[in-house]
Amino acid sequence: MDIALRHTVKKQLLWVALAAISMFFASMLSAFIVEKADVGNWQEIILPVFTIDWYYVSFDVGYFVISTAIIILSSFLLFFIKPRLTKGKPIFGLVFIVLILGILFSYCQIKGWQQLTNEGVYLTGAGSNVAGSFIYILTLTHLLHLVGGLVGLCISTIKSKQNLYSISNYLGLELTAIYWHFLTVLWIILFAFLKFY
Amino acid sequence: MTNILIAIVVLLLIATLVQILRVSELLSEIKNKDVNEVTDEDNNTQGVLFLIVGFGFLIFVIWQMVAWDHLLLPPASSVHGIQIDFLMKMSMGLILIVFFVLSPILFYFLYKYRGKKSNKAYFFSHNNKLEVIWTVVPTIILTVFIVFGLKTWDNAMNVEVSESTTTIEVYAEQFRWTARYAGQDRLLGKTDFRFVEPKFNPLGLVNNEYLKIAIKDKQVDYDTLSRNPLKKDDYGRTNQEKMDVLSGHIKQLPSILNEVSTDVLAQSSDDIITREVHLVINEPVLLKFRSQDVIHSAFLPHFRVQMNCVPGMTTQFGFTPTKTTEEMRKDPKVIKQMNEINRIRLAKGKSEEEFEYILLCNKICGSAHYNMQMKFVVETQEEYDFWYASQKNLKNKLLTQN
Amino acid sequence: MSEHHKENFITKYVFCQDHKMIAKQFLITGMFMAVVGMLMSAIFRVQLANPGESSILYNLLPSHWLDPDGVLNPDKYLALVTMHGTILVFWVLTAGLSGTFANFLIPLQIGARDMASGFLNMLSYWFFFLATVVLMSSLFVETGPASGGWTIYPPLSALPQAIPGSGTGMTLWLVSITLFVVGSLLGGLNYIVTILNLRTIGMTMQRLPLTVWALLITAILGVLSFPVLLSCGLLLIFDRSFGTSFYLSDIIINGEALHNAGGSPILFEHLFWFLGHPEVYIILLPALGIVSEVIAVNSRKPIFGYKAMVGALLLIAFLSFIVWGHHMFMTGMNPFLGSVFTFTTLLIAIPSAIKVFNYLATLWRANIRFTPAMLFAIGTVSAFITGGLTGIILGDSALDINVHDTYFVVGHFHIVMGLSAIYGMFAGVYHWFPKMYGKMMNKNLGYIHFWGTFICAYGVFFPMHFLGLAGLPRRYYTNSAFPMFDGLSDINSIITFFALAGAIFQTIFLFNFFYSIFKGTKATQNPWKSNTLEWTTPIERIHGNWPGELPVVTRWAYDYSKPGADEDFILQTEPLKEGEVEH
Repeated sequence: MDIALRHTVKKQLLWVALAAISMFFASMLSAFIVEKADVGNWQEIILPVFTIDWYYVSFDVGYFVISTAIIILSSFLLFFIKPRLTKGKPIFGLVFIVLILGILFSYCQIKGWQQLTNEGVYLTGAGSNVAGSFIYILTLTHLLHLVGGLVGLCISTIKSKQNLYSISNYLGLELTAIYWHFLTVLWIILFAFLKFY
Repeated sequence: MTNILIAIVVLLLIATLVQILRVSELLSEIKNKDVNEVTDEDNNTQGVLFLIVGFGFLIFVIWQMVAWDHLLLPPASSVHGIQIDFLMKMSMGLILIVFFVLSPILFYFLYKYRGKKSNKAYFFSHNNKLEVIWTVVPTIILTVFIVFGLKTWDNAMNVEVSESTTTIEVYAEQFRWTARYAGQDRLLGKTDFRFVEPKFNPLGLVNNEYLKIAIKDKQVDYDTLSRNPLKKDDYGRTNQEKMDVLSGHIKQLPSILNEVSTDVLAQSSDDIITREVHLVINEPVLLKFRSQDVIHSAFLPHFRVQMNCVPGMTTQFGFTPTKTTEEMRKDPKVIKQMNEINRIRLAKGKSEEEFEYILLCNKICGSAHYNMQMKFVVETQEEYDFWYASQKNLKNKLLTQN
Repeated sequence: MSEHHKENFITKYVFCQDHKMIAKQFLITGMFMAVVGMLMSAIFRVQLANPGESSILYNLLPSHWLDPDGVLNPDKYLALVTMHGTILVFWVLTAGLSGTFANFLIPLQIGARDMASGFLNMLSYWFFFLATVVLMSSLFVETGPASGGWTIYPPLSALPQAIPGSGTGMTLWLVSITLFVVGSLLGGLNYIVTILNLRTIGMTMQRLPLTVWALLITAILGVLSFPVLLSCGLLLIFDRSFGTSFYLSDIIINGEALHNAGGSPILFEHLFWFLGHPEVYIILLPALGIVSEVIAVNSRKPIFGYKAMVGALLLIAFLSFIVWGHHMFMTGMNPFLGSVFTFTTLLIAIPSAIKVFNYLATLWRANIRFTPAMLFAIGTVSAFITGGLTGIILGDSALDINVHDTYFVVGHFHIVMGLSAIYGMFAGVYHWFPKMYGKMMNKNLGYIHFWGTFICAYGVFFPMHFLGLAGLPRRYYTNSAFPMFDGLSDINSIITFFALAGAIFQTIFLFNFFYSIFKGTKATQNPWKSNTLEWTTPIERIHGNWPGELPVVTRWAYDYSKPGADEDFILQTEPLKEGEVEH
């Protein structure tokens, strides 16, 4: 198999895998819709927020909103890899920042869960409600898939530090980037769903 | 010891087969033939075998239809059931015709076109006209059946509840059925699973008397468990966990009661609980199903009624019975079936039985899934009134046994 | 890849990345599990024919599954039925069928050196192997393996108090199926990408053998539907072990009211059957693909209506996503929804009928060579006709009212899914054995195996329709609890007789298979005189499949008995003669 074909093939393998993962989340969202419509004792849960006072500006924001901003930023940064590689510039810094942002995202998710629990929204147990459980499950499974992305980013960070990538061969990083963009889009969909549905 | 003998016999059989195969291969080598080549003789044998076994299979099918026809369910004992039976006859007719046309064609082709080295097959790769024909014709036929089927389904499922409809709740649990009649007011009282108390309120009816019974019952359980909070049961749950659930429920009970309006509360006061169901002939009935623990399914085959009983929701099925139990017992088809059944029962040392309508469980629900039954009786209005009157006392009896 | 890397036992047989070896790993594991599943069915059939009695076959079971008199426990009967279903649906007919033939045939029939990613392919087998180990281990757990039916509906499967098998056994089942699904997905990724990208020069999609089309569409079905089983199972895991209420509400079990509120068991059914229905086509389509190939080669004629066959496959695949509700007609769903599912279900009969008519047209004016593979391929067609027709009864919601969950359903799916697929698998094994092992299987033993199986299988499953029409529910430990079923004991005995006889005939196949691997007569390169590319590879199999350049394809796969040709077959690599028009 020549190089170009090998690259195409590996990317297609990833795309098919992403199709499968999408079905996994789509089915959970369908479950959410069905369970909500089935009038049991569904609780309308509003994602908790806290107030930030910053100089003269004060706004309410929740950890999940912050996570959304972080992951969108990280995806945005990844778009600069190709131009930089074309010009032969080093990309280690860029990849490293994305990795840090990924870790920050995970931190915000966990804080978000803590905040939910403080507000009395539990995953399980006698005090829990199916609506609450779904919030945890959806964000938890997204985070678990994100961990896979973090692993990819770690490897890419190490390899980019060793300058192993060039414009003609940065397949590993490309695959990681595609996967990372997928996670971002998935998160936006999940977040919008939880916020507005 | 028997196991060792069996193992030795199996090994010897295998060794014998190996030797037979080696011999046949050597023989073919001597004759300079390939033992595994498919010859014209082979094709002939197999082609003939397909004709014989194939048509033998078709004869077997016909034999089964004739020999076992009397074992099948008797004609339906309900209004919608008669429509279902008609649709079933038509549909079975259709598939039997197709089966008895396609299968002989298959087996005959295998015989007629069995291969010979000297023959050549006909290179016929496609024909669009044929494809259209055998797409359009089945579509048309199936559309007719779909429309018919949907009408029948609609009649069965969309129940019109009128003044004369009797509503009966059928409650499923591992492993028995309980029925609840609506009493004078013809309305079933509200229930909640947190009100269930096995002796006095097995169905969880909600009203003031039952509130006290439920709280007392849960309190007793709580106290028993609190003697040893950290003890785990066989399923890994601690007494403390169970106590938390109990106290949660105890707190919820009064508010459940308060949410129910007084006239609804009154509805349960005349509900009657029974362990068999009596119905009046030609009077519509609406069965409402609930379950206590897992999914069960209420199956009344003679009435063509089936509906899952799902914990956390109420399902229903309405129908009108058209034959009394007595009429069934006098029906010649049923008599023939019962005679056969009783002959077998007596041979096995079991007692003889009369025909009864029956409710079975039809969704896997645990060990005794195969033995969850309740008797249904269809009778005249007078017989029903007599039975019903005798039931009223039962309810009062329960409550005075405080 | 024709590099000659040094191989030891581990890299050649165990962690091999060659698709042909991986295929054989799937095959052997699948065959082993088939024997286990079949023994389970023999045991519970004996219980059904002789309820309340002991039997020598029960010695195969752990002793605590029997009561002191040696009679099978009712909940262990349900465990056997559950495990039989799980093993046969997933392990044998999905992994054993797709795993074997997709892995073996795809690179060979499209002219590729190997799969797109040998590494992922190897992983797919080892996930499968791990899943097998976990599932088998659940048989030896004190409380027994999962016992809620292979469909594992909660709350029965969520509560160990409801049936013992819903304890550790069910947890192991869920772990095992998660590993299984991951393995299947890894395989599916490979199959799709390989077919789309690694076809050799000249192998356009229109020249692909039908087998490859079927395997491609199956893989797409799998990628889109298996993840739903994962999410369904994940929510169940949380309900069982972490106290959530996705599927549970208002439950009192063992005298204890549980805290769960707001959940719905019907949600589980929706999610499960969203996979469950495509799953039966994931089982069936590869079998039909194999059968198309075997019938064409052995009829010495093109498969009739190639384009229509591909179209039918695509239509079946598409429709399979919108019929799942026909498993749920009796759940109390909105009757309108029931009508919709009746409509779509009866629609799916049409492409199925098209396929049957095309097979019959292929046989018309053919010159049929009855190899054992061909016999089994015919078996598939017969079973598909018989079983498919009863689907018309079950798909009609009104008729389903009285046959749902009775033996009518059991007869239907065993014939249309069980027999069609297992005959397809046998056909595949007999047909491609020379390619897999370089030896021929014994023809006469093959004949005996077929006729014994064909006759006994119909003897087992056809009578079940009558049991269903007599009202007998499925998953019943015994039929002797209700007088109305006492009259059915003769039918039950007949079924058990054929079941045990059929099981014995399978030993002939096992013997033939293993004997021929070692002592079979050596095969020639193209013993069936077939057109497809796999028969142009050398008899001793090599990595990279072809020793020199990859073959170049000039025609479709079905030029059998083409007028004007020298022989009654033309290899796909044979260049067109002067004046010859490609089909």
